[in-house]
Amino acid sequence: MSAPAPRPRVPIEPGFFTIPEAGEAPRLLGSRCRSCREVFFPRRVVCARCLAHGTEDVLLGPHGTLYTWTWTHLPLFGSRRSDAGGYGVGQVDLPEGPRVQAVLAGPREAFSIGMPMELDLEVLGENRDGQQVVIFRFRPQSDGHPA
Amino acid sequence: MKLEGVALLGVGMTRFASHRARPLAELAREAGLAALADAGLSFREVGEAFVGYVHGGAMTGVKIMKEFGLTGLPVTHVENASATGLVAFREAAAAVAAGRCDVAMALGFDKMTDMMDAAKGAASRGVGRDQIDSVILPAAYFALWATRRMHERGTRPEHLARIAAKNWNHGALNPLSHRQPEHRVTVEEVLASPMVSEPLTAMMTCPVSDGAACAILARSDLARRVQSGRPLVTVRSSALQSERYTPGHTFVGPVVGPSSMTRDTAREAYEQAGLGPSEVSVALCHDAFANEELEYYELLGFCAEGEGEKWVEEGSAELGGRLPMNPDGGLIARGHPAGPTGLAQIHELALQLRGEAERRQVPGARVGLAHLVGGGSVCCVNILCRE
Repeated sequence: MSAPAPRPRVPIEPGFFTIPEAGEAPRLLGSRCRSCREVFFPRRVVCARCLAHGTEDVLLGPHGTLYTWTWTHLPLFGSRRSDAGGYGVGQVDLPEGPRVQAVLAGPREAFSIGMPMELDLEVLGENRDGQQVVIFRFRPQSDGHPA
Repeated sequence: MKLEGVALLGVGMTRFASHRARPLAELAREAGLAALADAGLSFREVGEAFVGYVHGGAMTGVKIMKEFGLTGLPVTHVENASATGLVAFREAAAAVAAGRCDVAMALGFDKMTDMMDAAKGAASRGVGRDQIDSVILPAAYFALWATRRMHERGTRPEHLARIAAKNWNHGALNPLSHRQPEHRVTVEEVLASPMVSEPLTAMMTCPVSDGAACAILARSDLARRVQSGRPLVTVRSSALQSERYTPGHTFVGPVVGPSSMTRDTAREAYEQAGLGPSEVSVALCHDAFANEELEYYELLGFCAEGEGEKWVEEGSAELGGRLPMNPDGGLIARGHPAGPTGLAQIHELALQLRGEAERRQVPGARVGLAHLVGGGSVCCVNILCRE
């Protein structure tokens, strides 16, 4: 985000990421199994690995590593991004374990497998109440200024 | 699931194409009646039916089954995304194997043109935006798989283009294929088509198709009796698996799923059939995107891991090659309306194993395999044999 949003921001769907104050990095809402300690995104109650019941809430990110990416020319639901010549989509490995698929921010030339990424929010549009609808995305990590 | 004494008695399908003017019930009726005629049976003899579709409301299948007559037979709906048709086939085979009926019908139908129109209408009304799962489209997810393979194995876009060109050219030999190019499609042409999601071009992806397909299954002894003059095709095994958790698993979006899902499901199908991949004569796989077929050469056990590109370069999966894959054009050319796709694969295997595939016949085909993944989250593999 180049400038703080002047209007209230709401997530495209609740329960996946935080919307912080301007200047702070968003985080992903994850779960850690109380039994085997496996970490998941998004949140879940039953561990997908050991099937134990009961997880604890954890905040994930904002940093990760680009596992794979593509440059897509199809429209992104909820926006007209493809009109601007395409956009990046990638999978980012978080140090906590989960691999997260998301839209990428930046020009086509910006991406390479293995590069450090950081979490960011993007405004998709405005809802009927005049609130900005946002989604999380990853962008190449800016040197020296972790988000 | 090991299957004994279950025969594939008849198959029928419409051409897969853009059938905007034709109602779904009409397409389904055409495929169903063709399959019954091929089986040499009346609908009265069908003991149970399994209907598969992705786009349609509750009870669509039961309503469409009334096209064949109202006999009181049990009708069950099956939906497993792209794998729907193969799962309906599996359930019909299981019903026969379990002795629930002597004859079962698996019918699949869908109109992707309706689905696309509905999605466009929803987008113009500003709905369909509020789910994080639907933000990114499937082509991008499969492209992510392709990019990673290019990084790890040095796959080039030309490998993917050669697979796509093969399937387009196979489609030219199939009168029921959606895409029937009038000239030989080249690698250069596939690469020059519009980019969808790098490295996938439009010609490396399946079209938007409508259609219906049907299979009739029966006890083998009954099949021998009613079809004494024709080679008997039996269903040897059917395996269906969903995802197993692996580290780095992605949960949000129409995910590709771990590649181990296809390997594990195929292994189960081979074990239950008592056969190995080297015994397969002809195979059909989920080539919605060309890079998938490359992965499945390895995951279905046809070549060693890391040798998929070599397999492409040697033309092994082309008609006339070591193991022809998707001889009917696959999802890329024959089309992929979703519900009937798996039953179109079964249709092709029936023709191949009976020796009736004409210009695309794999000589001496004896063992056939049909593979689909659905929503990236399930995999179904069926193995059929000519006795």
